[in-house]
Amino acid sequence: MVNDRNSFIFRLLSTLFVILVINFFLPRMMPGDPFSTTSADEVGEDIIVMTEEQHLYYINYYGLDRPLPEQFLAYMKNLMTGNLGRSIYYKMPVSDVIVLHLPWTILIVVSATVISTISGVILGTLSAKNRKKGSDRIMMTCMIAFAEIPSFLLGLILLLIFGVYLRLFPLAGAVTPFANYNGLAEQILDISYHAFLPVLTLSLSQLTGVYLLTRNTLITVTTKDYIRTARAKGLGEKKVWIRHALRNALLPVVTRTGFTIGIMMGGVVLVENVFSYPGIGMTLRSAVVGRDYPLIQGILLVIAVSILICNLLVDKIYGKLDPRVVI
Amino acid sequence: MIKDTAASGNAGILSFVQALNIDRINRIVSSINRIVSSIVKPFSRFSTEGKIGIFGILCIILVAVFAPVITIYPPQKITGDSLEPPGPGHILGTDELGMDIWSQICYGARMSLTIGLAVAFIAGFGGGAIGILAGYIGGYIDQGLMRVIDVTMALPSFPLLIVISAFLGPSILNVILILVLFSWAKPARIARSQTLSLKKNSYIIAARNYGAKPFYLLWRHIFPEVLPVLFVLVIGISSHAIIAEAGLAFLGLGDPTSKSWGMMLNHATSFRSIYFTPYWKWWLLPPLFMLIFLLLCLAFISRDMERILDPKLKIKKGF
Repeated sequence: MVNDRNSFIFRLLSTLFVILVINFFLPRMMPGDPFSTTSADEVGEDIIVMTEEQHLYYINYYGLDRPLPEQFLAYMKNLMTGNLGRSIYYKMPVSDVIVLHLPWTILIVVSATVISTISGVILGTLSAKNRKKGSDRIMMTCMIAFAEIPSFLLGLILLLIFGVYLRLFPLAGAVTPFANYNGLAEQILDISYHAFLPVLTLSLSQLTGVYLLTRNTLITVTTKDYIRTARAKGLGEKKVWIRHALRNALLPVVTRTGFTIGIMMGGVVLVENVFSYPGIGMTLRSAVVGRDYPLIQGILLVIAVSILICNLLVDKIYGKLDPRVVI
Repeated sequence: MIKDTAASGNAGILSFVQALNIDRINRIVSSINRIVSSIVKPFSRFSTEGKIGIFGILCIILVAVFAPVITIYPPQKITGDSLEPPGPGHILGTDELGMDIWSQICYGARMSLTIGLAVAFIAGFGGGAIGILAGYIGGYIDQGLMRVIDVTMALPSFPLLIVISAFLGPSILNVILILVLFSWAKPARIARSQTLSLKKNSYIIAARNYGAKPFYLLWRHIFPEVLPVLFVLVIGISSHAIIAEAGLAFLGLGDPTSKSWGMMLNHATSFRSIYFTPYWKWWLLPPLFMLIFLLLCLAFISRDMERILDPKLKIKKGF
């Protein structure tokens, strides 16, 4: 177990290292001088022309005139001190830009995780209980079909139905522009009104995984002896399912939640762009369009670190839930 | 060959050659039969959903192959007014530049299929080969490979994909390369674990004791056993690759010279006030539906194949 744990930490650290290395080498691998690209490949793309001063700043910032090992050390030192460089587009430090936008992403990812986990567990339990009925089969087919639609396409469909056709929800943004709120309650209401569709999209795309996992584990768990014992003791059906079966079936669900956050961080970039939601996903796109390289790299780093932190947290929580796992 | 010998009039050689030929033809026929039945037999075991999936994929492949035949206009030429609604001139209408949407859909199918197939086959069989070799050789190579696989699978693939293609510039080749780099790990891992368990089988040990060389063992005994599992993975990888390409193109990181479905989504959604006009009905919906249809077909097929191979396959969902 100790060995297992060490290799887990080792894996997280080596993943982080690989990302740092990729982040370091990418701008240096580009053919020619990476900062003189001023062409626009796309219709409607803004042409960003760098001034000579900016150009020199980037050469200097990346230290492209120094030897490679020295550059890498300088890069690591900058990272350790939280210096991610300056964004061209926003004209302020990258870390400030990220701090400005990250809360929105965290808001929708966390709420989607909570909602999809809770509803997935409830649906999975219902489904496991009624698994011999026809309704369960229909539900399962629908859920599986849902899971195969990638989140951003699902988001587009929801946007077209609820935003464009029914006009129930806003098409873009996280708050009503220029709104004056009379109190906190109104502000929260406005934020959740805007976050509703993105959260729904992310939840739906994660729901099936939780649902199937709960259903399958419950079906395995309910064949165990201690469930029969619980029934033989004369416990009510409700108590058997919730206190005995579900409690054990939830362990894999917890582990899975940590991994889904990783998958969701990929999906959220696209989903935010579908709903024009001002999180880091949309910032990433505008950084890509504007060739704002320091910002792109900063965002990649933040996404990677947050995924690794989630994995670490899940590992800790799992140890608490299942005392058999030695930490 | 038969004619030549007949002309020479040598009956003995003729009958000999015929016998040889018939033998060879028989062998070819029987091998064709075997291939056909190995395709048809599982097909009869597919569920209705799986059959729909296969039918759908065949339709999309036909559309992609015969794109020049079934469309009137080239996809990248301005052939009508801007934003024409669907009508007799343009079946699905036109986009903001006046290009035919039906043509774009048909030619876009090529893009999705090419990327999906190329990535899936390179990553699936390349990764599979690496996994089989590592599992067979074992030792430090195997240990090292497992570490690399662990790290590759833990990398946040989509954000990295965006960043790398932002730096390297959008082109089909880059997209394929990057996708391959991120998707070889899973087949390698599964092929390795399969090889490890196969290696212990007594028939393989027997074959080795009879003096079978490693390459012969890998090719004749291990590879055919791992192949079905790899095939299921290949379908999964291809749908991932199609999603990733569509996602990249949607963000504006697709190949700008191509007209893929993701690019169509990108153009349509970045059109100002698309949601306040009726244009989305014929501009945004067709690529959206085609992508979802293609992905659902692939999913149906892969689920069915998983079910058919289940006794051999120990992949759980959520792996």
